[in-house]
Amino acid sequence: IETARIFDFEEFPVRDKVTYMYYTGRLEVYNENFLAADQKLVYALIHCNPESKANIRMILKYLIPVKLSLGILPESWLLEKYNLVEYRDVVRALKRGDLRLLRCALQEHEDQFLKSGVYLVLEKLELQVYQRLVKKIYIIQKQKDPSKAHQVKLDVIVKALRWLDMDMDVDEVECIMAILIYKNLVKGYFAHKSKVVVLSKQDPFPKLNGKPVNS
Amino acid sequence: DDKEEGKEVTQQWEDDWDDDDVNDDFSLQLRKELEKKT
Repeated sequence: IETARIFDFEEFPVRDKVTYMYYTGRLEVYNENFLAADQKLVYALIHCNPESKANIRMILKYLIPVKLSLGILPESWLLEKYNLVEYRDVVRALKRGDLRLLRCALQEHEDQFLKSGVYLVLEKLELQVYQRLVKKIYIIQKQKDPSKAHQVKLDVIVKALRWLDMDMDVDEVECIMAILIYKNLVKGYFAHKSKVVVLSKQDPFPKLNGKPVNS
Repeated sequence: DDKEEGKEVTQQWEDDWDDDDVNDDFSLQLRKELEKKT
């Protein structure tokens, strides 16, 4: 029996390396290894034939949800140029903290996202959108009364969500906030009896900066 | 250069978008909602 020969990746032709990185990158997306997926798909993107718009588009179709999961957004012209406009509202929703828009975007392009297998990845962006919404509430409160801004009443979040057509009660919102704190998207603690989230005075909304959300 | 476009595409990402700006339409609407007395 021949012993397995150890191949040197660099020995292969560029086109094969790109293909390999594209498919293994996609595999990493399914396994939710976003850092590995990012690395592989970026490799494919840098080394693929720049003339082939279709190939670039295929890579971006997976790279965009990966980057979004790491808290990195594509410039809007990229979506236009490669006809990936199905991601436009997803990006907008993240920027705004607009949970309604995220849901609408997922619903509208459900077939496409399910077909390419990124639906679940995009669905998980909801936590980042919640983070953004709570951050906006916090900033708005701060402009009004800086001394009390770090105390966010759960009622206030309920109100904001109701405005976004999401009918949740205080307990459900408390649960969401607990998840955000657990995932390190929010730093703070509950004053359970008074139904208030007390935000940390230092960096209450940590940025992902290219790191995946804690799982 | 062959690699130019690939490189160009890899540079078109924003990682510092999460600013403190609350002057967009969405935020202004949100502010109004929060100020409403219920």
